[in-house]
Amino acid sequence: MLSRRDFLGRSALVALAPTVPAFLARSLRAAAPQRDGRVLVVVQLSGGNDGINTVVPFKDEGYIKNRKALRLPEKQVLKINDQTALHPALGDAMKLLESKRLTIVQGVGYPNPNRSHDRSMAIWQTARFDPEEHNGNGWLGRALDSVADSLRESDRTRGASAPPSSLFVGTQALPTALRGRRSAASVLSRLEEFHLMGEAAAVRAMTSSPAESSGLSDFVNRSFLDAYTTCDRLAEVARVQDAGVSYPGSGLGNRLQLIARLLKTGFAARVYYTSQGGYDTHAAQLFTHANLLRELGGAIRAFLDDLAAARLADRVAVLVFSEFGRQVRENGSAGTDHGTAAPVLLAGPGVQSGLVGTAPNLLDLVGNAPKMTMDFRRVYASVLEDWLGVPSKDALGGTFERLPLFRG
Amino acid sequence: MSDKIPPQEAENLWAPYVPDDKMPWDLRRVVHLHRRAGFAATWSEIQRDLKDRPKPSIDRLLGGKARGPSVPPDFERVAALLADAAVSAGDPARLKAWWVYRMLFGPDPLGERLTLMWHNHFATSNAKVDDLAAMRRQNDLFRALGRNPFDELLTAVVRDPALLLWLDAPANRKEHPNENLGRELMELFTIGIGHYSEDDVKNAARALTGWTVEDGEFRDVPARHDGGDKAILGRKGTWKGEDLLKILLENPATAQRLAVRLGEQFFGEGVLDKTALDSLAELLRRNNLRVGRAVETILRSRAFFAEKNLATRVTSPAEYVIGAVRALEMLEPPPSTVALADWITLLGQDLFYPPNVFGWPGGRRWINTRSVVGRANCVAALVGGSSAGRPEPLNAMGNAVRYQRGGDLEDVIRFYSELLVGTAPSAAFRERLHKALGTKTALDSETARRVVVLILASPEAQLG
Repeated sequence: MLSRRDFLGRSALVALAPTVPAFLARSLRAAAPQRDGRVLVVVQLSGGNDGINTVVPFKDEGYIKNRKALRLPEKQVLKINDQTALHPALGDAMKLLESKRLTIVQGVGYPNPNRSHDRSMAIWQTARFDPEEHNGNGWLGRALDSVADSLRESDRTRGASAPPSSLFVGTQALPTALRGRRSAASVLSRLEEFHLMGEAAAVRAMTSSPAESSGLSDFVNRSFLDAYTTCDRLAEVARVQDAGVSYPGSGLGNRLQLIARLLKTGFAARVYYTSQGGYDTHAAQLFTHANLLRELGGAIRAFLDDLAAARLADRVAVLVFSEFGRQVRENGSAGTDHGTAAPVLLAGPGVQSGLVGTAPNLLDLVGNAPKMTMDFRRVYASVLEDWLGVPSKDALGGTFERLPLFRG
Repeated sequence: MSDKIPPQEAENLWAPYVPDDKMPWDLRRVVHLHRRAGFAATWSEIQRDLKDRPKPSIDRLLGGKARGPSVPPDFERVAALLADAAVSAGDPARLKAWWVYRMLFGPDPLGERLTLMWHNHFATSNAKVDDLAAMRRQNDLFRALGRNPFDELLTAVVRDPALLLWLDAPANRKEHPNENLGRELMELFTIGIGHYSEDDVKNAARALTGWTVEDGEFRDVPARHDGGDKAILGRKGTWKGEDLLKILLENPATAQRLAVRLGEQFFGEGVLDKTALDSLAELLRRNNLRVGRAVETILRSRAFFAEKNLATRVTSPAEYVIGAVRALEMLEPPPSTVALADWITLLGQDLFYPPNVFGWPGGRRWINTRSVVGRANCVAALVGGSSAGRPEPLNAMGNAVRYQRGGDLEDVIRFYSELLVGTAPSAAFRERLHKALGTKTALDSETARRVVVLILASPEAQLG
């Protein structure tokens, strides 16, 4: 098993090894700044998650009045306090809360909410409201631009090798959130992309012993050796599963497990991004939504426990958001239609656990949906500045008051 | 890391290459020419050029005749059909496959290399443009004007709908200028960083107000144009878009930036120093920024064939994949062009989807864990056939025999090393190859295929 210090060293090595002679890499390893080692994992809930049945205001008169078939019985919900509870399927999330690894920011949205999936998702991903800017860069891509500069310039002149700033794990196209002017995002859909297949396996023998010169052919040879080492380590971490950690055998579970393996191997991206679909529950929501939340809570808890066993969890925060919540009064098909504000979750040992902000009053609605009580850009600003340690002003198009989401 | 070249020798670098004892016209240089300026060559093309000497060989590449009879007679018609079908189906994978078809079968590999260069220079991504017809049109524009004087190309590209959408020209209006196009025009397309101020960017954006896209076409809307005074690079006037282009084209830094671009394309790491690039820029300026003229000078030059320029550049994914298919003559039947485009994407070069406005950083950045594994898996798939959409495996033994190079295993190894890397294998290379082959070394078609995979996936074969 890797110690945390080993990991920090390795991540710096993976970032720099292909161009930096080993003796230099060794001194860099000793000096690796801790903040650069912090990682953000974004889980996008696609389709519009019913926030009201995720973090349940079970005493709210509006909840009792508007939710009939979909009202979660007070006896079953997992109570956080005498007003607020988690969905019964979020037992794993409750465990995270009890172990001080979960922050729930309530009522998060933006002014003049848009109820189109595409438009609202674009607003969340770009932190911009003008549709003309929705095809441009995203909030994370822009934020990573500020740290990509130095790599970029060294690359232009000397051809240095740098890790991608961010990595999207999934089979869809790269999300706009990760697009930047300078920062580079890459997409990974399968772990097999790191396996030498069939005849290709024999090529390992084609490398020479490593030399420390910065010349091009030594660089290539060293990169090949590095690549094979990384593949071996990935295979090794895939083989050695920590006892007691079991990911849900689902898409999100698999993707978070893959991200955990990459982190254990020393992969050096700062931001990982993945999604869980299926939240557009217009009909017969009860069963579907419970399954989705069970998978979500189970996957995140397994992910954090897995990383904790590898002593990596301190470096990782998970951000969970959806493009909007759903309406308060259910529709005629035991489902809910597109709404507005909803809770945002942050998970990891570094979060200031508990409830943040005020839950919307469900008797005071606009178009049958809650009024937001928290601007989403305040959450983003806190994540960028206080967790990743990167400036948020340009990324978000303004300065937003930060929230106490993280510990010291 | 490069040796300093004295100024008097810089001029000499661009003098024509004449083979001599120190720089003979040999297999290495023929293979170098085709890998650096095209997508590698078949064994018969290499032999033809070895016999013909440099001038006819370079003439053929410049004139789009290097591939001879292997170009399908109805190439342009088929290519146009493929692009039309991709656009009307709205399928990006098929548009990528169209470009791969052009690189693989077209008569002008150098032209396709320049098209790739301009795609990288004016890096426009369909992720934002979301219009395959516009992306294809831009690609054809690069192809049509890629060798022309740069002012013709720049003038056309800055009115190209895909580029204007990419850089938010429709949002750039008198009342609220958007700096995106103005900034990238200065920083990336012409003079480069360090040659302008933030005020210049603001005023460039104002000069460009009114240029927009309507119904898929360029439009200059005077009502949106800011007709006020603007100072750009120290010159004052009521500048419009075309005035801005003129100011930028007249600035000597533009030639300098083009020299760097051409340097990345045709030279290895550290081969050209500042003096050499300055003299290439001067040559461009003297020739009205005529790109084709500069390319010709480069390909005929001593600098291009110098020892230090051989095998000192990391091949891009497109060069690597298409080059392997060409050199190995996997053309009848060819692999699936959709599969080839997928491999090129997996190796880091998603055509029509560059990572950002800077394009692909290239060079050493092409090599990382994923691409090292990907390159090996890619050649194994190509040689194996089925997972690259080819109905049969490569007849590696048959090809060697056809060129009288299949006598024994050493002969086959030497043949493929010469074909794919341009040199006979060193003793150390042979030793590693034998280690990789293991004990099963009977000379049969399977072993010959393994030899090809091992050579192509070796560290040496990534440099060309």
